[in-house]
Amino acid sequence: MTVHLSIVLFLPLFAGLVGALLPRGLARWAVLAGTVGVLAYAIVILADFESGGGLQYVTDDEWISELGIRYELGIDGLNLFMVLLTAVAWVPCTLVAAFREHDRAKLFFFNLALGETAVLGAFMAQDLALFIVFFDLMLVPFYFMIGGWGTGERVRATTKFVIYTLAGSLLMLAAAIALGVLSTPEGGEISFSLAELERRSVSEGTQHWIVLLFALAFFVKAPLFPLHGWVPETYRASPIVTIALLSAVLSKVGVYGFLQIVLPVMPEGSQHWQELFIVVAVFSILYGSVLAFSQDNVRLVVAYSSIAQLGFIVLGIFALDDKGAQGAVFQMLNHGLVVVPLFLIIGVIAARAGGSESLSELGGMAFRAPVLAALFLIVTFATLAMPGSPNFVGEILILFGALEDKFVYGLIASAGVVLAAVYMIRVYQRTMHYRVGPAVRSRDIDPVNLAAVAPLVAVVVALGVYPHFVVERTEGATTAAIEQARSLGQEVAER
Amino acid sequence: MDITWYLVLSAFIFAIGAAGVMSRRNPLVVLLCLELMLNAGNLALIAFSRMHGGEAGQVFALIVMVIAACEVVIGLGIIVAMYRRRLPIDVDEMSELRG
Amino acid sequence: MSPTEYGWLILAFPLAGMLVVSLGWRVLPGRLPGWIASAAILGSFLASLGALDTVDAESHVDSAWTYAATAGFEADLAILVDPLSVFMCLVVSGVSFLIHVYSVAYMGGDHGYARYFAYLNYFVFSMLLLVLAANFLLLIVGWAFVGAASYLLISYWYRRTTATYAGIKAFVINVIGDVGLVIAAFLLLNETGALDYAGVFSGAEEAFSPNDGTLVAACLLILVGAFAKSAQLPLHTWLPDAMEGPTPVSALIHAATMVTAGVYLIARTHPLFELAPTAADISAIIGTATLVFAASVALVVTDLKRVIAYSTISQIGYMVMGVSIAAYGAGLFHLMTHAFFKALLFMGAGSVIGAMAGIQNLDRMGGFRRAMPFTFLTFTIGALALAGFPLMSGWFSKDEILAYAIERGSGFVVLAVIGYLGAFLTAFYAFRMVFRVFFGEPVPEAHELEHGHLAHGEPINPLTGDPEDTDVGFPGPEHHVAERSWPMKAAMGVLAVLAVVGGVVGIPALTDTLEHFLEPTFEESRYHEVHPSEGAEWAGLAAGGIVAIAGIGLAYVLYVRRSGITLRLRDRYRAVHDFLVHKWYFDELYDALFVRPFTGAGSFGRRVIETDFVQGFIVGGATGVVRAGTSFARAIQTGYLRAYALLLLLGVAAIALYFLVASS
Repeated sequence: MTVHLSIVLFLPLFAGLVGALLPRGLARWAVLAGTVGVLAYAIVILADFESGGGLQYVTDDEWISELGIRYELGIDGLNLFMVLLTAVAWVPCTLVAAFREHDRAKLFFFNLALGETAVLGAFMAQDLALFIVFFDLMLVPFYFMIGGWGTGERVRATTKFVIYTLAGSLLMLAAAIALGVLSTPEGGEISFSLAELERRSVSEGTQHWIVLLFALAFFVKAPLFPLHGWVPETYRASPIVTIALLSAVLSKVGVYGFLQIVLPVMPEGSQHWQELFIVVAVFSILYGSVLAFSQDNVRLVVAYSSIAQLGFIVLGIFALDDKGAQGAVFQMLNHGLVVVPLFLIIGVIAARAGGSESLSELGGMAFRAPVLAALFLIVTFATLAMPGSPNFVGEILILFGALEDKFVYGLIASAGVVLAAVYMIRVYQRTMHYRVGPAVRSRDIDPVNLAAVAPLVAVVVALGVYPHFVVERTEGATTAAIEQARSLGQEVAER
Repeated sequence: MDITWYLVLSAFIFAIGAAGVMSRRNPLVVLLCLELMLNAGNLALIAFSRMHGGEAGQVFALIVMVIAACEVVIGLGIIVAMYRRRLPIDVDEMSELRG
Repeated sequence: MSPTEYGWLILAFPLAGMLVVSLGWRVLPGRLPGWIASAAILGSFLASLGALDTVDAESHVDSAWTYAATAGFEADLAILVDPLSVFMCLVVSGVSFLIHVYSVAYMGGDHGYARYFAYLNYFVFSMLLLVLAANFLLLIVGWAFVGAASYLLISYWYRRTTATYAGIKAFVINVIGDVGLVIAAFLLLNETGALDYAGVFSGAEEAFSPNDGTLVAACLLILVGAFAKSAQLPLHTWLPDAMEGPTPVSALIHAATMVTAGVYLIARTHPLFELAPTAADISAIIGTATLVFAASVALVVTDLKRVIAYSTISQIGYMVMGVSIAAYGAGLFHLMTHAFFKALLFMGAGSVIGAMAGIQNLDRMGGFRRAMPFTFLTFTIGALALAGFPLMSGWFSKDEILAYAIERGSGFVVLAVIGYLGAFLTAFYAFRMVFRVFFGEPVPEAHELEHGHLAHGEPINPLTGDPEDTDVGFPGPEHHVAERSWPMKAAMGVLAVLAVVGGVVGIPALTDTLEHFLEPTFEESRYHEVHPSEGAEWAGLAAGGIVAIAGIGLAYVLYVRRSGITLRLRDRYRAVHDFLVHKWYFDELYDALFVRPFTGAGSFGRRVIETDFVQGFIVGGATGVVRAGTSFARAIQTGYLRAYALLLLLGVAAIALYFLVASS
């Protein structure tokens, strides 16, 4: 079956443009239809996807031929579920946003749609320059959504957010250009195609600093300690759907870049920094967990827990072990799938406590909200990676991978599992259980949010029952992505 | 023919112009001094053109004249505008561009 | 039907029950959710009987689908049906059914009735998954599920602050156990290349020499999991607090089934422990230490449910000791009898607490003998079985463990002696409860009950004295006693009979039914031949009986004949009393060692690292550099025409100079 990725890619943008031309009230429905269309298309791709079949549905056209930049898209085991996650995450977020009143609604929904196109593009791009174009394009709609529709200190938050990410991506741009130029063989044409870059090689010393620059950009995006300075303010000021998408999907683009670009193209450089990146990851796990425990604002608990979770994912990738990378890919999907309902539920909870997001004012909400409490409970358990949830399978694979090659780091990281239990169960208790908060009015989840959250929870439960569904599809591509760096690591270890 | 005298004269005029631009306070005089500097440049260009026997230098000199004319038009226009708005005609009073 | 088909059926019933009750919470009227849930567990019990009928010496494994498989990591969603798992299924589903029936009445007036039974069914499903799992991954899943169910039921009355704290404590300690199991599973997978029991056990024989360091480490990590779940030292602190849950929950989860999972786990992984005798010895020593420690605390605790909780910790100590010294049959025998009499004791306690309108303090109770004859009778039977009174079920099972310990000889004899000391304490505190609750002057509540009125106090939290939120229950506005509701009476009656006659499956030399039934699971054991002689067993039983009677007698003297003497004793040995009342200061120790440093690190991170380092150094440093650069650039932009002209000139001059120098 022929699938045209360009249609998937530009469908949201098209919907956004159509919405901009329609009367004010209709823009949201146009964008919602666009996201649903993308989801439908993504499901078709999933059904049609051939496990272990390499890169599929390739679109490869000339774009800027003088600079060797091509318009090259494709789906493999690495990005299949990332594309799916994007499609799945955008629908409920758009749905919830559609039932809320916004001023300048057309612009907001256009930004939302543009964001989906940018993220899909970053995931599907098979050309480094194209990846960077979409990577930076992601920033634009999110900048406007946070700055224009946020609350509190939104200007300060957006400034920080933009400067951090822009600094990171400029470094990456420089690194990418250097990579393209330096890898061009004598008399050859410059190329940014990932497959071509993989065949070419750059000297090891060059790889070292190029990998470091890429890592800076990705760590800012993830975010990992100590490059998370933008996180608290941005999380606090963003509209809830924006932050759900930012945390669930955008944070994955960076770590995905490691697997799709850095490890296959620059195995020596990746191997060189392995130890450093693992230390950063492990420290992020512990630091994020401890801080998540000591926060009072619910959003910030999730924000710091994301730092810890992304730490796990980076640990899995840079364990340079098949199991670890496998777990990391799975965990990228899982974390996205739980963070969206988590934030939507936070929105619901805040609405029942007079807008407060402070844990000390949210207690005792479960009483007249059994459905809300039950959904939240499942999401909480999945977030803290309770065995039986898909997150547990991801985390256990990551831990096994880390323990196998870096035993001590794996052992330290496993403390993060316990800490996750502490801070997540605390959030659940301080909102659903405990003494009743001063402004709390217990009311069950409304139909719109229910329609947004329940399907996601169902997906999480289904993946918990049959996680092999994902693992078998990602296995081939993941193994191939880290293969070179892994064997290099083994050689080093033998010497 | 020795080019040195032409260049010395050109440098002399340029220096007078530069000193005028920096020391005078009246914008009209500053403009005049600017013209001096430009014409010093023109003199040097034409001298070189004569020495090398090409037309390029003369063409450049013509272009400089055109630019000088434009510049004078804009400069005088600004000064007239300032005069009409009764602003002080003094370059030391004009520092709106301060960072 | 094959044993594995029964196995799936065993799992399917409670899962279906949970789904029906939880999805139908709005439409199911009255006590129907309770009866549906009970019927589901009854179905499970019947399926277990079916499995008992069909199971043979083989272990039957059946896989539903691949759970996760990649790069040498392979785990199926598979169940294992062998005599051990069938035995566990029978105990779990049988006792669970009775406790469900009891709960139907006991929880009658509670607002969260359907929620309660959904949780309870979920728990039974998880527990059965735990015992039926055929590999370590699924075991860990069941392991964590029971922990989650336990957490949910501990903080069932969720607006009580004490209940939420107790829930967090239990959950976190259980997660520590989970992580221990995960790392243990990794070590085993790494060395044996398998996660399923059969593969690990056969691989371990080849991969490890006896007492291999890695294997000992793996076994100790398994013990972390087992001890966290079974509340053994030093991970026991959550169980007494878990008494915040409804009393039937204490009976089911925190006495009869879940907390014995650790014992099951050691028995299940016995091939590993036999290869690593060091780990087994450590386990036996910890079990013994726990049994004395917990029994000593049970002597002074005044909260009725917490006395039974410490008693549970102590009795599990016996079981852990049993399975660690390779007395598998005996350890599991005690697991079964303990499930009977301990569930019975909790049910009796629930009935008494109902009569006291929620008060759990022993100091406030007394003289209920005439007001509650049925509760008195069954509670006393439970206490006799707990104390190991001759011919009761606990007498056979506990003393068989101790007989095995003596048979193993050398250092194990010391353990046995400590075990007998513990038995004496057990008999004493068991009857301390009986005498203080049912004997002496009747308290006002007992008087009222004799006249047909059930006490109705203001609902207050017994620990903090705060008024309770009646919305979310706190045993509900109504209270229930066994004398007045037949489901409670029926459940307690059946358990009382079982507590008396449960020993018949293991009478030395006469029946030994249980041991023969379990034999296929343990016949590979290298200690298979170690077996106390009949004479030794009966001698041990005699000694145990004497110790029990002595303990009961002492309790009788202290609490009935000369009831003032305990106060004088307490004043005289105040230091000892304080030490025991503070539970050997374990909570305070953990608070200082873990909780404070953790919260301290949190606020340090928030105040110092976040503000000073991340915001101050990194963000501040970056903005500082930018700011310094811009202020220089701003300084140049004076706005004066001649300044610009001068700069221009200087620039041109500099360039000219450069070319002059470069060309010459």
